[in-house]
Amino acid sequence: MSDAAREQAATFEAPEDLDAINRLYRERRWSDGLPIVPPTAERVERMLRHARCARHDVVARVAPGYGVATAERIAVNAVMAGCEPEYLPVLIAATQAVADPKFNLQGIQATTNPVAVWVIINGPVEKRLAVNASFNCIGQGVWANATIGRAMRLILQNIGGALPGEMDRATHGQPGKYSFCCAENEEASPWEPLHVERGFAAEESTVTVVGAEGTMNMNTHTKDAPELVRVIAETMIHPPSNEYVHGGEPWLLLGPEHAEVLKRGGYSKTQLKRALWERSRMPAGSFSTLELQRARDSRTRELGELGAETLIPISPRPEDIQIVVAGGPGTHSVYVPCFGNTRAVTRRVEEPVNGKR
Amino acid sequence: MTVCSTAFTTLGQAQARALGKPDLPIAVIPHPFGLRTRAEVRRIAEQCVEDIARLVSRGAE
Repeated sequence: MSDAAREQAATFEAPEDLDAINRLYRERRWSDGLPIVPPTAERVERMLRHARCARHDVVARVAPGYGVATAERIAVNAVMAGCEPEYLPVLIAATQAVADPKFNLQGIQATTNPVAVWVIINGPVEKRLAVNASFNCIGQGVWANATIGRAMRLILQNIGGALPGEMDRATHGQPGKYSFCCAENEEASPWEPLHVERGFAAEESTVTVVGAEGTMNMNTHTKDAPELVRVIAETMIHPPSNEYVHGGEPWLLLGPEHAEVLKRGGYSKTQLKRALWERSRMPAGSFSTLELQRARDSRTRELGELGAETLIPISPRPEDIQIVVAGGPGTHSVYVPCFGNTRAVTRRVEEPVNGKR
Repeated sequence: MTVCSTAFTTLGQAQARALGKPDLPIAVIPHPFGLRTRAEVRRIAEQCVEDIARLVSRGAE
């Protein structure tokens, strides 16, 4: 059998009735628990016209089952999720990103932790695909956000093999495991966009994947920048945290109004990260005894001997704190703690030029 | 060979298959582990040592 034939997605005769198809997908555990769009040969073909690579090109191997993610298999899952064909390049880039060893997909997929993959989109593709970066950007209601996030989950489950209760060992999971995707509100940000900070040109389109443990809303009406820094930093402090145990990479999804308060207060992104890092240090005595031991096992080389009074930083370096500006009007921001043993990865979105690969 | 607690045996078996070692011997210990007394842990460890010896010698046959 040729390599291409081996990597070809399996095809089967399905009933024409949509209810019967969805029963089949439910029985075989090929869905996330919601009805799917049948990935017919025609729909998959239509989607593949938007890939820069060939149908059977291997994009990545996806832990923990190490299934081979070809463009075709990614397209099948994208169709199932309800994606428009134009979304495929974003999903190919996101699949490359999650497979980067830095992301620790093996740990993220198989852990008892609720960690979800948060997909953040930057650059011109954000407008072209109408990805929501404003009101309710990590909530429901916009096709691109909902279906790109859902397709990411189906890729992780169907190609990566992380079925709940089998290789996905999450104790509770979280709603973000259905779908967790937004764009950065670059126009409303007072700073350079995330992808530019991470080394890409402003006119490039990128996708960034984050191992996100959950979301904690922060509603504060303060207009005083140092006070805003203080309340955000105090929200970040929580003793049963993978970030303090392992030295993490915490994320802040700043609402545009809070970002403006901080900008007017004179904070650059670098200064903001430094201030948050210093203000969010936690006395090691706040840990439970076993977490303190786990932190010693994990961070003694980095921090030296840990006593009860030692102030533990949330991340090894201030610059590990990550900031993205999104959302609509309102005095809210969101703290997104990360899984701890993971680092976000950004990949360029490769779109066909004038419809050609 | 590897050791898994009951809650992670399915993962261990699936992971072994995915990595091309479907016959990987797995010694299984009860879950959870953290709330047990030292004496209980010792009993589990002694049983596990016997299981490991049995699985390793089966692999050597």
